[in-house]
Amino acid sequence: MEAFFGNLALGFGVALTLNNIFLCFVGCMVGTLIGVLPGVGPIATIAMLLPITFGFDPTGALIMLAGIYYGAQYGGSTTAILVNIPGEATSVVTVLDGHQMAKQGRAGVALGMAAMGSFFAGTVATIFIAALGQPLTKLAQLFGPAEYFSLMIMGLVFAVVLARGSILKAICMILLGLLLATVGTDLETGQERMTLGIQDLSDGVDFAVLAMGIFGFAEIVRNLENPETRDVVRSAIGRLWPSKEDFRASYFPILRGTLIGAILGILPGNGAVLGPFASYTVEKKLAKDPKRFGRGAIEGVAGPESANNAGAQTAFIPLLTLGIPPNAVMALMVGAMTIHGIIPGPQVMTKNPELFWGMVASMWIGNLMLVIINLPLIGLWVKLLQVPYRMMFPAIMIFCCIGIYSINNSTSDVLFTAFFGVVGYTLLKFGFEPAPMLLGFVLGKLMEEKLRQALILSRGSFSTFIERPVSAGLLAVAAIMLLIALLPSIQKGRDEVFTE
Amino acid sequence: MRKCILALAAAVSLAGAAQAQTYPQRPINMVVPFAAGGPTDIVARMVAENMSKTLGQQIVVENVAGAGGTTGITRASQAKPDGYTIMMGHMGTHGAAPALYANLKYDPTKDFEPVGMAAGTPILIVTKKNFPAKDLKEMIAYLKANPDKVNQAHAGIGAVSHMTCILFNSQIGVKPTAVPYSGTGPALNDLVSGQVDYMCDQIVNLVSQIKAGSIKAMAIAMPERSPALPDVPTTKEAGMPEYEVTAWNAIFAPKDTPKEIVTALSAALDKALDDAPTKARLLELGAVLPTKAERGGDWLGGFVKKEVARWTPVLKDASK
Amino acid sequence: MTDQVSSESQKAPGLIKSTQEFGAGLFLIAVAAFFFWQALELPHGSLRAMGPGMLPQSLTVMVAFGGLGLILTSILAEGPPLERWSIRGPFFIFGGIVLFSLLIRTFGLAVAGPVSMVFGTLASTEFRWKESVIFSCVLTAVCILLFKVLLRLPIPVIGTVIEPFFPF
Repeated sequence: MEAFFGNLALGFGVALTLNNIFLCFVGCMVGTLIGVLPGVGPIATIAMLLPITFGFDPTGALIMLAGIYYGAQYGGSTTAILVNIPGEATSVVTVLDGHQMAKQGRAGVALGMAAMGSFFAGTVATIFIAALGQPLTKLAQLFGPAEYFSLMIMGLVFAVVLARGSILKAICMILLGLLLATVGTDLETGQERMTLGIQDLSDGVDFAVLAMGIFGFAEIVRNLENPETRDVVRSAIGRLWPSKEDFRASYFPILRGTLIGAILGILPGNGAVLGPFASYTVEKKLAKDPKRFGRGAIEGVAGPESANNAGAQTAFIPLLTLGIPPNAVMALMVGAMTIHGIIPGPQVMTKNPELFWGMVASMWIGNLMLVIINLPLIGLWVKLLQVPYRMMFPAIMIFCCIGIYSINNSTSDVLFTAFFGVVGYTLLKFGFEPAPMLLGFVLGKLMEEKLRQALILSRGSFSTFIERPVSAGLLAVAAIMLLIALLPSIQKGRDEVFTE
Repeated sequence: MRKCILALAAAVSLAGAAQAQTYPQRPINMVVPFAAGGPTDIVARMVAENMSKTLGQQIVVENVAGAGGTTGITRASQAKPDGYTIMMGHMGTHGAAPALYANLKYDPTKDFEPVGMAAGTPILIVTKKNFPAKDLKEMIAYLKANPDKVNQAHAGIGAVSHMTCILFNSQIGVKPTAVPYSGTGPALNDLVSGQVDYMCDQIVNLVSQIKAGSIKAMAIAMPERSPALPDVPTTKEAGMPEYEVTAWNAIFAPKDTPKEIVTALSAALDKALDDAPTKARLLELGAVLPTKAERGGDWLGGFVKKEVARWTPVLKDASK
Repeated sequence: MTDQVSSESQKAPGLIKSTQEFGAGLFLIAVAAFFFWQALELPHGSLRAMGPGMLPQSLTVMVAFGGLGLILTSILAEGPPLERWSIRGPFFIFGGIVLFSLLIRTFGLAVAGPVSMVFGTLASTEFRWKESVIFSCVLTAVCILLFKVLLRLPIPVIGTVIEPFFPF
């Protein structure tokens, strides 16, 4: 315990120097900005800003870059709530209820609750990293390919629960998402699969391209179709600050979301993606009236947003303690550290304690700054909704185009986004929900990889998934969840299973 | 209209000729065919920073990842050869690609003006912590004795860890079960946690794990030991001198880039490699810098030919 | 393809109780058939050594079954009808995006921005020429400032076609 406080004191000593506070602030500001801009992700920005940090000392540089990363998570939820565009896999869930709230004139409430939930989650996650970071990495080591595969199966069950309407349609969407994820070069043989001979598809479809198309652009087209719905958003601004009831409804979702997100974030295989989905599923199952979900339930924003931020924070654990980056942004952080002469790995904590604890402390400071930056901005964001839609949609369009282009400096990505916009519009017309498809897509890539690795390692024996205790446990949870999800509809009679 | 275009074209080519004397007049695009933050990207950004100072214009790094780097190189090779698009080629894109990608749209030996070698990162052979071998000889013996039991990890077809391990396996004559991962991170994770037995990869990715003792290094595929890991024996010392590989990174310009521009770029690169801070940073990574004899475009051109000739039979044979 | 689906499904109102579900089912089957055809030549492999085609092929079969299930429900249960499809919105929005992708490298953001935005604004029934042109140009300038100057993203502001005339 003494060591814990000693470490934190060391960390705050480093993070609270004027220089580092300033860098943290700059990082948070830039992060918020790129998070709000649809498509422009932290990857492109951090890559571009890397050379600027050459002149800084490594701790300061990393504090700033980390600020960009979690600042972008904050900003991303703003875009998700206001214009229905999830910039990253983790904000797909926020779109579901957040944008509905905005349509009901409760954008301010949604944004405020998201910011406060995130701050709480960030605080807890910081303590979590400081206290348990090292022992928890041992837990992550229990996860081999078989365990990850079972975890993904559990995630797919979440997607079924996520659906608002017909379960059959949700399952179809998940399958379609999985199918889309198989497009691209086969990992094992290097053979191109279903790429239609297009070279730019050889690495598969980019998440942002798909999400921007089927959520963002399809939404624009739909809004243009019925101008009435847009006018509602403009006229009803409503309250800016969550009411007492809003807070009461959000306490427990925030707590649960934080816990779920923090635990999943530790897994080195990008488990953080699952956090918001898991939190949403839990809240929907616990709610007295699950029908409200997808129609502007505040729990559906507060829980997942907390899970998202907690996961974003604890995702630093595998990076800092193992030196293994769980996702693309973290891989870039490895690059940043390497350029600064620090090779991330198990020894960072002992060899560079100022860096490790300074970063941990700066994360909490950064989260505090983000709340301070974001709460006053809510009024501004909500005002933005009052801009006439005929000016709003070309702006969204151009930001999305630039954002998509900047991911990989590729014009074909922009074309693909237009294509998926058409697909998204078609899906809307047929009454499909895009969220389960996106989850299927995100999990699909990991799932196939892990399935095949597990089967190669077990020499083709499926019993590996049951013989390994952690994997068996996860599969059991998945089975129980699926049962709970399907039972009410089965009891209500067969007709209800397939219709809304 | 057509006349107008012709006039325009003429003006452009004239402008191009005039510019050659005072190259560069605007920022230069350097295509890096891998994601930001990887070893190639780090090398590119480090040399680009110093070269920008010498040239007086910013070199902007543009990451175009995909298909083992061939997406970016294909695009850069088709760019206008005016010196404002250059690229960071790599052992994979300019050595192994012809063997791995049947419909590759460029020829590494013909479609480029080589500018010069930038830096390479040595390859290490590493095993999981509790692998039953304490040196390379024992490891090879174990691999030969248990061909069905061992699992070798790699970071996907076309990755450095994939190609270099194929070379290693073919030289010792084993064919273990290869487990593909979607990147070095996840592969390394499973090596640390003991799900797989061994892999071959660049020193940058491995050095901290080796120092922490979470994986074991068997040998480094270089003629001399690396200052970053002085305790790791070379393949020569370990009794396998024929296994010598470096994941090299070199700058190329599209074919037909004017000679004087290529020379200017070569000179700037040369200067960057002699610049003390840049050199120190690169060496800290465990990178190997080209000797004076190995610099410049002519040497690189010959080297690429040798690399293509070296990798093609090995990789073709392995995919059979 | 989708238009055909809607007209076809509206023609048979007697049997089909939900044209939306019916269309959705047909759509899924069409998608599955397309992917199945694409994945056909991929080696299947065995469970011990899964080939690249194993997963995509099984998934297409499952998607097709899902589609069949939807068609079945559309016959058995009441459901919402198919909505009307608009042409104007999708055409100009997606057309605008396509224009952007065609112009960004060749003519740069300075041209691609206004052109694609003006084209895109045609999607709205409230379209006004003057407003649209001015707004697009201002917004493009903002974008250049934001993305190029502030965030330093490598976005071509003036493309390869006009670049040689602006030596800076």
